[in-house]
Amino acid sequence: MRFLPALLAFMATAWFWSFLPAISAGETRSWAWAWLPDQGVELALRIDGLSLLFALLITGIGTLIFLYTAAYFRNDDRLPRLLTLLMLFGISMLGLVLADDAISLFVFWEGTTVTSFLLVGFDHNRRYARASALQALIITGLGGLALLAGLIILGQFAGTYRLSEMVLMGDAIRASEIYIAATIFVLLGCFTKSAQFPFHFWLPGAMAAPTPVSAYLHSATMVKAGVYLLMRMSPALGGTEIWMWSLTICGAITMIVGSVWAMKQDDLKLMLAHTTLMGLGALVMLLGSGTKEAAKAAVLFLLVHALYKAALFLSVGILDKQAGSRMVDDLGGLRGAMPLSFAIAALAALSMAGFPPFIGFIGKEVIYESALHSAASPLLVTGSALAANIMMVACAGLVAIKPYFGERRAQKNPGDPVFGLWFGPAVLAALGLWFGLFPAALGHDLLEPALGAVTGKAAEVKLYLWHGVNLPFLLSLLTFAAGIGLFLVIGAVRRALQAARVPGAEDGYDLGLAGIDRLSAWVTRSLQGGRMTVYLKLSFAVFAGVIWMAILMSNTELSRPDFRVPLFQFGVVVLILVSTVVVTFTPSRLIAICALGGVGSGIAMLFVMYGAIDVAMTQLLVEILVVVFFAIALLQLPRTPISLGFRPFDMALSVALGLGVIVTLWAVLGTELNLYLTEYFEKYSAPKALGRNIVNVILVDFRALDTLGEVSVVLIAAIAAVAVMRAGREARK
Amino acid sequence: MIAQDISVVLPELVLAIYAMAALMWGVFMGQDKQSDFILHLTAGLLILVGFWIGFSGEGTQTAFGESFVNDGFARFSKVMILWGSAVMLLLSREYLIRNHLMKFEFPVLVTLATLGMMMMVSAGDLMALYMGLELQSLSLYVVAAFRRDSLRSTEAGLKYFVLGALSSGLLLYGASLVYGYAGTTLFSGIASVVDAEGISLGLLFGLVFLCTGMAFKVSAAPFHMWTPDVYEGSPTPVTLFFATAPKVAAAGMFARVLFDGFGNAVADWQQILIFLSVLSMFLGSIAAIGQSNIKRLMAYSSIAHMGFALMGLAAGTEQGVQALLIYLAIYVTMNVGVFAFILNMEHDGRPVTDINALGMYSTSEPARALALAVLMFSLAGIPPLVGFFGKFYVLKAAVDAGLVWFAVAGVIASVIGAFYYLRIIYLMYFGTASDVLNGRMPLLHYTMLMASALIMVVGIVNLLGIEGLAAQAAATLVN
Amino acid sequence: MDFLFVLIVGLLVTSGAYLMMSGHLVRFLYGLALFSNAANLAIFVSGGLSYGAPALIAEGEKAPLEPVANALPQALVLTAIVIGFGLTVFALALAKRAFASEGTALMDDMRSAEPRAED
Repeated sequence: MRFLPALLAFMATAWFWSFLPAISAGETRSWAWAWLPDQGVELALRIDGLSLLFALLITGIGTLIFLYTAAYFRNDDRLPRLLTLLMLFGISMLGLVLADDAISLFVFWEGTTVTSFLLVGFDHNRRYARASALQALIITGLGGLALLAGLIILGQFAGTYRLSEMVLMGDAIRASEIYIAATIFVLLGCFTKSAQFPFHFWLPGAMAAPTPVSAYLHSATMVKAGVYLLMRMSPALGGTEIWMWSLTICGAITMIVGSVWAMKQDDLKLMLAHTTLMGLGALVMLLGSGTKEAAKAAVLFLLVHALYKAALFLSVGILDKQAGSRMVDDLGGLRGAMPLSFAIAALAALSMAGFPPFIGFIGKEVIYESALHSAASPLLVTGSALAANIMMVACAGLVAIKPYFGERRAQKNPGDPVFGLWFGPAVLAALGLWFGLFPAALGHDLLEPALGAVTGKAAEVKLYLWHGVNLPFLLSLLTFAAGIGLFLVIGAVRRALQAARVPGAEDGYDLGLAGIDRLSAWVTRSLQGGRMTVYLKLSFAVFAGVIWMAILMSNTELSRPDFRVPLFQFGVVVLILVSTVVVTFTPSRLIAICALGGVGSGIAMLFVMYGAIDVAMTQLLVEILVVVFFAIALLQLPRTPISLGFRPFDMALSVALGLGVIVTLWAVLGTELNLYLTEYFEKYSAPKALGRNIVNVILVDFRALDTLGEVSVVLIAAIAAVAVMRAGREARK
Repeated sequence: MIAQDISVVLPELVLAIYAMAALMWGVFMGQDKQSDFILHLTAGLLILVGFWIGFSGEGTQTAFGESFVNDGFARFSKVMILWGSAVMLLLSREYLIRNHLMKFEFPVLVTLATLGMMMMVSAGDLMALYMGLELQSLSLYVVAAFRRDSLRSTEAGLKYFVLGALSSGLLLYGASLVYGYAGTTLFSGIASVVDAEGISLGLLFGLVFLCTGMAFKVSAAPFHMWTPDVYEGSPTPVTLFFATAPKVAAAGMFARVLFDGFGNAVADWQQILIFLSVLSMFLGSIAAIGQSNIKRLMAYSSIAHMGFALMGLAAGTEQGVQALLIYLAIYVTMNVGVFAFILNMEHDGRPVTDINALGMYSTSEPARALALAVLMFSLAGIPPLVGFFGKFYVLKAAVDAGLVWFAVAGVIASVIGAFYYLRIIYLMYFGTASDVLNGRMPLLHYTMLMASALIMVVGIVNLLGIEGLAAQAAATLVN
Repeated sequence: MDFLFVLIVGLLVTSGAYLMMSGHLVRFLYGLALFSNAANLAIFVSGGLSYGAPALIAEGEKAPLEPVANALPQALVLTAIVIGFGLTVFALALAKRAFASEGTALMDDMRSAEPRAED
């Protein structure tokens, strides 16, 4: 049962393998199902050279890793859960590389983010694992959404979400104004996923995952997703200055930073994790170069890296399991006790260091060759490639020589592992040698179609083990010499590196998180303290702001006010004004209630004067009721405080609001009123609704709905009041 | 004329009559014995009316001189509102009984609130809209303060009322300005004035005030301040209610006013909407991070989600309205599931709202934890879950409307927003074990939680067909 | 006269806002009452003022003979008044209840729903 995933993965590998003849002959296969037809989104899958290469890596290495996992966790009851997650992860990854629809691609992309989050945090009892899982999720999730923005922008411009069609529109896309935005977003997505500087710091942390998971994530999958997408989008977005320089520079920095930090690690697994940064940086840098040679080097190195990295991770897992530790300083002299493990580690490390006749050697030669002709800056690219490769030689030594030679040291009694544990890494390491010896078929069948997809045109890949004595070969010799030299003094170098404390991008991440926490606390504290007056003041301030903004942004014209009014009316107005002022400032409840009544009845009088008899009657009735209710209710409420401290800020705010209302309302009155509807009612009241009081007719007939609503509102207010009061009584009991 | 009018508002009328009858019955029959029955009856009726509206009626009918509109948009929103209210009633039962709140007023108030909401999304006239709004708001003020033994509940009611009344006043002021310029409160009349003369200064003033008033109701920042306190203080079923049906109604009302009344002046209100939307998304997301009370967290989450919903509206296109409707439908479904869970967060019968209580929940209740995790991932908008498609639709609507930077802001906000949902998942799977939660989950709640989570997964296939329905509904509003 | 109306509305709004921000429940209610009056007046004045004649149609006629007051805003104001009334009554009840259970009429002291200090 526990070997089922491996079996499935193997069948998938075989299935993909069956496409090889057709794909290497330049054909493609595609399938599509409608998904969200309105939005032009479909679940479209497509196999071309590039996706086939990735699919084979994912399923092939997946097979070996699932097998290894089943052996590694054979006595652990969490095995089914781990295998399920790994399978889900593998499926997402497969979907990602097969998707031809941008949205489907994004969905799978985030699928890998989520499942890898769960995988990295698998050992949830360890604080470090949890923190790393969250960090990986935040960084890659963040980038993923940026990618979505980029893809939508591209899809909107291209009028299709098919990547295979977008890729053909490269020239139009590069010439358009959306190019910069789209490129930035896509690059953000790819750089975060593939851990490029300055987002590189999450990747070493992600090795907190169980060893087989790290092997899978770091070799063929997860981190390669960004590289995959860069390759996929190269024909559409590549070839411009911004593309070239951002890829070259970020890639080069990542490569160097990863290599330097790898050397100082004590934990072999952590060291490998850092060398993954080197590999990814190299790939990105090559893709930035923009030449066909560089693309060829990238495709080849992708394969090289996947093979040796998976093998090395798994062999560190063997050390961990069999010798009880994976710390550099805890291990030594194990080659006698674990000959098989040593052979595997040695083969893989030789490929990593780039010694002939391994495929790593060819990869390095091709990289040097393309670096010397880089369109960006041959000096920069070649120089950093050389430096990184030298350090890789030293790291290879640390992984494959240090634990197996010298004085014997181990935490427990070591010995070679069971079949399930050595088989996977052995196959991977052997493949490194096999491809090195017979590179031609590999180049033609597998890499050529992939390269075609990356460059957007048919390409030829001819690989030889022996290129003759040329500049790349001399650089290789230099690499070996310097690398071995470095390995001999590695102890001193490591001590020096460990003593140096360099602030990394990770500090920025921590600062950012702390900053967001503080911002959140500040927002809630200052805006959301639970103080109602603060809420009210803020609301009023916003209203005043909105009114005055509207007034000032439009050139409001105000007519001159006319103050000539009959004395009686003037009296009413004064009554209202005075009453209002009294309500505002009196400390006495009784006077306040009376003044409130004064305001209401004054307004009722105004209604009468302007022909609104019904309104006036209602207003009067309501006013009386309100005063009565106020009187009853206030008997049970406490007195207002006698000292009424004047609040200048509140007053200023209120005045600003009041003035704003005056200006806007006055502006309204300055315009001609549209009387169409009024005339309609005047005309049809009698004939249609048989009523002579036009207001009444409007209320009960033309606008009966309002009236129905009114009744409901009053009813509910009554229920509400009763319910609340009853509740109040019960509360007191 | 009247007979025809009445046939259009028949569902509303039925609910109104039912509410009064139920009230009478409750009063005369000795309330507490009947409450449980009334609650179920009400829920059943709401569901039935939902089906009735959903399956009847083609095209657009108006009543009472166009002040009431029954079109596809209204029907789509009403079905969401009715079912949301019904589900909330059913879920609230256990809580009400446990806290001795099983009073017959509760279902009646919910019915009246629902009626108000239906009028809001069907309004063809500013006054009718105001009326519906007040009907809804008053009922909500009361249910927010429904827990008599809780200070927080009283305060929640009071705070909601204070700020709600203010916003109603503002809306009314805006309505009077619009009326002063257009000479009519009918949306169709306003639209023809805008058509003929363009949007004049006064209309713009009016529009601004209408928007601020409505922003309060959808709890969009900077008018969101009532939300966290009210969510936290209200009885939990009421919080669920706030998070679902009224949000749909408020957003529907917003769309109504803007498209029916000011559909030809998109450029004039787009800026306002973008402002509200961006501010809500960021404020909601950022403030949510600091919360440890799950109800407050959901409050900020709802602010952020309404920001996204408004993004669809701000696009000002038919596609945008479709996105809005889809977003709302998905949002409501997710919230039902999440609150079905929150309602049962208990320790020895006492409600727990601290999210740290969820520590290692996955070991004690794997199935529930998984369902909640799915919902959280979906709320965070992480694909492939359905929640992602809600975000996808609004973002795409914004991009298609040429508002690329707006969409980008949305993306950034949703990254920040994802943080706190993931924290809950993180707690459940990787947190420190707390074993605080030991509440039993009634079958209905369990079913709702699972169903909601399942929809988030199964819906990936074709969003359960909601896409097409929303498109039809949107088409009736825009044009 | 129009302007005096507008002035009244402005003053009502100013006083209302000032009262509402006082933080005392009773004063808040005064403010609310003033606010709802202001809103009613605003609607009324928006409809244009015409001094005098009520909007009635004489017996036997089909339409008003002389110019009458604009009937529509009156109808709207009626609606607004009634709703405002409902709100005020409810507010009073709620205030009473809040005072009864909290023992204070100072709105800022009603903070049991606030986030805790460390938030």
